[in-house]
Amino acid sequence: MTSEYDIHVQEVIKQVPDADPVKVAEAFGRYEKDFLIPPEDAMRSVLRRFLSDKGVMPTKSGSSGSSGSRPAIPVKKVSSFSELSSDDKNVEIEVEIITHNPRTTMVRGEEKIVPYGLLEDNPWPDKGGERTRWEFKDWGNHSNVTPGAIVRLEGVSVNEYQGRMSLNINQSSRIAVLREGTRVVTTPGEPVEINTITSEGSVTVVGRLLASRKDQIHRKDGSGSIDVVRGRIADDSGAIGFLSWESFDHEVGSLIKIENAQVRTFRDTPEINIGSSTKIEIYHDANFSTADDLAAQSISKIEDLRDGSRDVDIVVEVQKMTKRTFTNADGEEKSVWSGDIADPTGRCRCSIWSEPPFDIDSTPIVMRLRSVRVRAWQGIPDITIDDVSQIELLAATPWGDDIDLSTNVVEVPLHDLVSGASRVGISTSGFIVSVREDSGIISRCSECRRVLRNGECSVPSCSSYEGVDDVRLRMVLDDGIGSLSLLVNKIAATDLLSMDEEKITKEIEENGSMAFVQQIRELLLGRKMKVSGRTFVDEQGSMLISDAVELLESDSALDASELRTKWELV
Amino acid sequence: MQSSIRAKRQSAWHMLASEYGDSTLNEQGSGEFDPLFVITKLGAKVNRLVVAGLLERLEPRETNSGATIWQGQIRDPSGIHYFSVGDYAAESMRELTLQLAARTDDGETLMIMMTAKAKFFQNEEGAVYTSLRPEEAAIIPGSAYRQWLVKASNDMLERMDYQQKSLSLEKTVEALAKEGIPEHLRSGLLLANAHYGEIDLESYRLNIMQALDIAEGKTYSAPPKQTTVVDNSQEKSEENDSSGEETKDGSDDLKKIMMDLIAKLDQGEGVDFNSLLSNAAARGHDRDLAEEALDELSAEGSVFEQRFGWFKQTS
Repeated sequence: MTSEYDIHVQEVIKQVPDADPVKVAEAFGRYEKDFLIPPEDAMRSVLRRFLSDKGVMPTKSGSSGSSGSRPAIPVKKVSSFSELSSDDKNVEIEVEIITHNPRTTMVRGEEKIVPYGLLEDNPWPDKGGERTRWEFKDWGNHSNVTPGAIVRLEGVSVNEYQGRMSLNINQSSRIAVLREGTRVVTTPGEPVEINTITSEGSVTVVGRLLASRKDQIHRKDGSGSIDVVRGRIADDSGAIGFLSWESFDHEVGSLIKIENAQVRTFRDTPEINIGSSTKIEIYHDANFSTADDLAAQSISKIEDLRDGSRDVDIVVEVQKMTKRTFTNADGEEKSVWSGDIADPTGRCRCSIWSEPPFDIDSTPIVMRLRSVRVRAWQGIPDITIDDVSQIELLAATPWGDDIDLSTNVVEVPLHDLVSGASRVGISTSGFIVSVREDSGIISRCSECRRVLRNGECSVPSCSSYEGVDDVRLRMVLDDGIGSLSLLVNKIAATDLLSMDEEKITKEIEENGSMAFVQQIRELLLGRKMKVSGRTFVDEQGSMLISDAVELLESDSALDASELRTKWELV
Repeated sequence: MQSSIRAKRQSAWHMLASEYGDSTLNEQGSGEFDPLFVITKLGAKVNRLVVAGLLERLEPRETNSGATIWQGQIRDPSGIHYFSVGDYAAESMRELTLQLAARTDDGETLMIMMTAKAKFFQNEEGAVYTSLRPEEAAIIPGSAYRQWLVKASNDMLERMDYQQKSLSLEKTVEALAKEGIPEHLRSGLLLANAHYGEIDLESYRLNIMQALDIAEGKTYSAPPKQTTVVDNSQEKSEENDSSGEETKDGSDDLKKIMMDLIAKLDQGEGVDFNSLLSNAAARGHDRDLAEEALDELSAEGSVFEQRFGWFKQTS
């Protein structure tokens, strides 16, 4: 038997000195393999067996009745792993489940699932505290242990193996979900819908092959390259890119089942990785959508684009395009055509690396793009078109002439902007909860347009610059659920305040910047505003750079009467 | 701290004074920078508020350490928010405080809007004091105040509705989510239901009706204890309104309404004169007529004054 049980065997020998260590280890092995009971929990049963072999019953009978197999160990309630030692049982602790990997084990000819994964203590983000990460095994395969969930574990035990501590969630453990997980656990082997694939892990999908091409990945150390196949498969729920490290020669259009592939996230985009342990087989389903239908369905919209997306098919309208010529590192002169594009869900940018098949001055132009990739710059998606063959010009827009994209602005709830990706061409509304004291006249660097701090530009390459005055308001917009930092540019600010730059400057010179800010607060604090522009979301928070802002005045009397009617207040 | 992740900015609740002031529950993490939440009876987890109302008092107080703290009150139709501005407040807030104090001293009636952080204090006897630490404030016109009242009322009505819904549900976040209770209310509602038990929403409904009256420009029902200050814009509408759709013909209806009110508000000791008339006014009835109706009811013996100024139905 393995050394895995040494500690436990010794524990038994301590109490039953003449028991045979090999047999004890065997017993532990059987409990773990056949009954899925980890050695800590099997201890009492094993002990009882060897004691009764000798004709003595255990002295302390903690529990009574038929459920006597559970030792009455006092509950040890802790808030962090650091309070635990290797022999603790019946532990109660709150943790966040980080990963969850169902693993199938054969037990007496029957398949059992014993998931394993990682969890962390101090799970509440607003309570702070250092988090420690441990491994766990869930011997009970509890359905409510899901990645992302915060749970209270009761009746779990600590395991130490080769100095590494882990938690055993036993079959009898109780799990109370305190915060739902964000990801869904699926049984391995069961195909999932493609649009539910968001997190890393093992996955099985059934889908139709939409695209497939050979590619090479060059080793960074220059030691050669690896042949891979890239492509895209789809089902009715959506499409996903894949990367196969193994040979892959299925024809485009074939329906396949990809079993046990790994999901990796490249930039912000999940991708299926096909490796040596992945099984691919032809799947038969006469009702499965055809490749043409799926290709039509898997056309992306600008709001779906994420940094790192590949093999994207999309229809966009080019609104403006300019040509830029530069000299590359090899001294060659190159051109890139970049522009603003839009569809009814938003706006973004695109870059074309060869001469576009249209006159860049005759915008708007509608084009269908095939197998393009997406980079993001400052959070804004930028569609990269490497070759003109990816472009097909369309005579008309598929969304009809009703929508004028040059003025189309998509309305998004504020709290969705806070948590989502950066967006362009959006509008939202909320309440002003802060007008920052640096609102008013600011000084920008004449070279890079950054705001000067104490008259200095933070960019090292800006050398001979001077301060250029500009008007900017900095506020916080809040919809009661989320909030974002709102920047209002000169045009929007002067519009809103009905003051031009000159007047604002004069006002500040005469009364001071504080009085000016206070004046804005009198106008805006606590008031509802509608703003439009673009957002920039990163780990520092969310920012809305607005080009138009509007104070929403409402008729209080009318609103109040409406409320009375709605809630039957008489 | 090692972590470079910035704490998420807490959202602000537009909230009437009564809901905030009734709170006796708080939640604070153990970390130094963990946000404090005051949890209201309606399940709002409040860290930051947008409040508005009449600036009633603003006075300096010396602390033991010799620093000056300005303490003030903002009155809205439901009650009073207490706030204090100390040395830690932003410079603009301290500067504004001095200006506001000077102007209230001169007898000016000021309507203000304020964003503030929640403060929670419990003394050794267990008494709870909630108050506000202002971040920013501004003098506002009546129109802005009325819009705020509508927003605060709307949000409170929604919370009342969700609170009622939550009572019959299983006490888990999932059960609340399933019934469509918005995410930002779920954990607060669970905490509130466990702490406050059954609550009476009637007084909140009355607060809201009074708030909506002001928003609609109806008679401003004077606050129970202090009757001197009235926002100018409302004074005007008072003249229009009190010309009276209420006539003597309506007096029987009014008597019935007064009887209902007494039944509703009576917690055992009877209902005091002032809240009775304020509540009648909140329902759009003229104060004088309501007083007359009350007199009539007393005369005919339907109600009696248990002690002076406290009315009870004759059973």
